[in-house]
Amino acid sequence: MTAAPPIVRAGLRGAALASGLRDLLGSEKVLWAREDLLLYEYDGAVDIATPDAVVLPNETADVAKLARFCAEHAVPLVPRGAGTGLSGGAIPVEGGVVISFARMSRILELDVANLRAVVQPGLVNLHLSTAAAPHGLYFVPDPSSQKACTLGGNVAENSGGPHTLAYGVTTNHVTGLELVLSDGSIVRLGGKALEYDGYDLVGTFVGSEGTLGIITEITVKLTPLPEDKRTLMAAFPTMDDASNTVSAIIGAGIVPSAMEMMDQLSTQAVEASVGAGYPLDAGGILLVEVDGVRDGLDDLLERIEVICRAAHAQELRVATTALERDKLWAGRKGAFAAMGRLASDYYVQDGVIPRTKLPQVLRHVIDVGERYGLRIANVFHAGDGNLHPLIMFDGSKGPAEVERVKEAGREILEMCIQVGGSITGEHGVGMEKTCYMPLQYSPVDMAVMHRVKDAFDPLGLANPGKIFPTPGRCKEFSLNAAR
Amino acid sequence: MPRVERPATPEACADALRACAEDRRSVRVRGGGTKDHLGTRRETDVMLETAGLDGIIDHVPADLTVTVRAGMSFAALRDALAKHGQFLPLDPPHVARGATVGGIIATNSNGFGRYRYGSVRDLLLGVRVALPDGTIARAGGRVVKNVAGYDLNKLFIGSFGTLGVVVEATFKILPVPPVAKAASATFTTPGDAFGAADALVRTSLRPTAIVVERTEDRRWRLAIAAAGEAAPVDRAMAELGRLAAARGASTEAIGDPEAALGPLREIVDAATGGAVVRAALPLSAQTAFAEAAVRVDRGARIVADAASGIAHVHLRDEAGVVAAADGLLAKARVLGGSARVERTAVAGLDPFGGPEPAGAFLMRRLKEAFDPNGILEPARSALG
Ligand SMILES: Cc1cc2nc3c(=O)[nH]c(=O)nc-3n(C[C@H](O)[C@H](O)[C@H](O)COP(=O)(O)OP(=O)(O)OC[C@H]3O[C@@H](n4cnc5c(N)ncnc54)[C@H](O)[C@@H]3O)c2cc1C
Repeated sequence: MTAAPPIVRAGLRGAALASGLRDLLGSEKVLWAREDLLLYEYDGAVDIATPDAVVLPNETADVAKLARFCAEHAVPLVPRGAGTGLSGGAIPVEGGVVISFARMSRILELDVANLRAVVQPGLVNLHLSTAAAPHGLYFVPDPSSQKACTLGGNVAENSGGPHTLAYGVTTNHVTGLELVLSDGSIVRLGGKALEYDGYDLVGTFVGSEGTLGIITEITVKLTPLPEDKRTLMAAFPTMDDASNTVSAIIGAGIVPSAMEMMDQLSTQAVEASVGAGYPLDAGGILLVEVDGVRDGLDDLLERIEVICRAAHAQELRVATTALERDKLWAGRKGAFAAMGRLASDYYVQDGVIPRTKLPQVLRHVIDVGERYGLRIANVFHAGDGNLHPLIMFDGSKGPAEVERVKEAGREILEMCIQVGGSITGEHGVGMEKTCYMPLQYSPVDMAVMHRVKDAFDPLGLANPGKIFPTPGRCKEFSLNAAR
Repeated sequence: MPRVERPATPEACADALRACAEDRRSVRVRGGGTKDHLGTRRETDVMLETAGLDGIIDHVPADLTVTVRAGMSFAALRDALAKHGQFLPLDPPHVARGATVGGIIATNSNGFGRYRYGSVRDLLLGVRVALPDGTIARAGGRVVKNVAGYDLNKLFIGSFGTLGVVVEATFKILPVPPVAKAASATFTTPGDAFGAADALVRTSLRPTAIVVERTEDRRWRLAIAAAGEAAPVDRAMAELGRLAAARGASTEAIGDPEAALGPLREIVDAATGGAVVRAALPLSAQTAFAEAAVRVDRGARIVADAASGIAHVHLRDEAGVVAAADGLLAKARVLGGSARVERTAVAGLDPFGGPEPAGAFLMRRLKEAFDPNGILEPARSALG
């Protein structure tokens, strides 16, 4: 863990801020004691910073009141869901108020007739699908953190998940938002239909990581549960074989609902913690799922098996019961947590590459690991070309070690960009990848993005220090930025 | 007559825009000119044509992505991809008349396949856009997932050229499915037709079209198409039969799905008189909307993408068309949707003349930031 370099701007802070907030909202909605604040200084990534205060709103009106107060007193607003983010998005890097949505976590409406749900931002992702299941429906985006992460966080990050390959990531499933802007105004955008007049501000907002405003209500699509599914675990001698299989399956015109890959280090960690039944001697394994109507599913599965065998699969196992399927998925969904067995800390990268470049880039990842003497495990959304190299390290070795780890991560992302990819596919830029933005975008591209920022948040108080590179923190990158 | 500019490169396009901005000359952007019916007829100083920005820039079949210049016609792109057994799964109208990729993005022009494959916003991965300040900005990327920075693709889709000119676009594409079939069933009430459509939407059959049409003999015909492997396609056809039978109707196979769906898709082009109202509705509001359409014009022709809640109503009774259209626009809003006049020859009906959209103050700030001199597409702004 590293403390971010403090860039705290002028404005009401500390005890004075906390007492102002208590007067404004009542003390039951404000946390200010040192030991309470400590719980809000980190998320799922590696950076930390302590807020001046935490506010727990009960309703939109509380958020609007808070925003007006903060606008008057130049206090940054940092929305926070479950804090599972992997890019430091919820870290109050410039101090100010963290808004926790723990008390705004209800499903306001399950509109089965319109295949929509209206929810509060603090709702846990999995709770929505659980509530929709009796109606034969579910919410498609299923981040591996879905037992904890919130819809607000999902919308802010435009999160994906293993099953977003065929059916789309969060932005493809959001049709309406209620926002509180940093000046305290409340705006309702979109609704239950697919289109509304004027610019698509809902689409523009999704993935903005809290930097355009605060989400207080979300309207999402619900999707009919598939009639049936087939889940296949395929083990390969090498990662190259597994990678080539991914391209071959897609190339054959098959779009599985999920296609996830794990390397040997990952399967070993998973086996030790979850016991999903993955073979320990495989160089790489794939989890492939197809779903839809029952008719033709077995044929589809057979075609996939043929492709796997042609690519040297050493073992194919089809889940025959729901229990077996859940076990296979438990391994994948518990993979990040399982890394705790291999190292005290890990740093996840989230680069995206064209699928056909998988073998080349994975070899580069191995090379980076060897050069830095760092163990790197790969567990990722292979069908999307969305890599997740987990760089393992020991944080107790101090900040220099963390810097080394970040340096290794940067080399991986540079390669992703070189082959035409992206620095982040679903975890967001947050505070962690701001300095990498110039790898992907020109100064003009970023200036144009900033026009959007200025339109929504002219005060610059909505989650400051995120997404955009700051000159103070990204010296070496501002030099490269001209290209 | 407006002066015609036809830049041959993105840079020339940006330069032309800058020059117009400096001289405060108003600009209309024109691809294939297939959507000239949209917007008021206010003439601009300059007509900026994108025809010079043509061709595929990059197509890696194995990655299932394609990058094209925005002036390329959709038909040319479709033919080029077909040679590789692939397709861009959009089925917008006006393709035969020359609709371009850029125009399809700018007008968010979609077809019946959006329920199965997604709409422009779901398939567009990245764009380059020439802006009135003479710069060219890139948004998104060329890979299928990307959350770095804001998703400006969404801002430009459906912006009707009011913020900038799309010069290049990257899309997700798919292999052409091996089997495609279609069938229809005709009902006497809209409730039965939309009810059967709704039942299909609640399965995992995922047809490529679920369309309700009000026929000339004032009945309600549900046409569906499905594509993919043979077994699920046949199952979809069987399911339609079951749903039709339960409502006392029988089904008819459709030999050539495209020949049957094409005319439905082109309801706007076919409507030379009267007015066409286009509504986007919550799914369950469609029957009520169709009934309202028939109330305001007993001869109304209706084509609804029932899987996505997008309805086109051709009001053919010229005498009462202004009142009928206004009534229908209001009805769509009351039902929780939105609507605009897609085409009309009648004075007094402005496609973008409805009440201000929610969040209009934000839209205005964005317009101001991208086009401070207000030169772009003055006749096609929802902001008045
Ligand atoms: C084990 C593990 C597995 C994961 N797997 C995946 C995966 O498969 N796919 C994936 O995409 N991600 C994954 N993640 C990352 C993370 O879970 C997602 O980004 C998730 O959406 C974050 O939700 P959260 O509620 O924890 O948000 P937080 O971490 O609290 O916040 C994330 C961002 O959202 C903003 N935010 C939160 N609430 C609001 C609001 N109401 N209004 C405005 N902004 C808001 C915050 O300011 C911050 O910028 C994983 C994380 C872990 C730890």
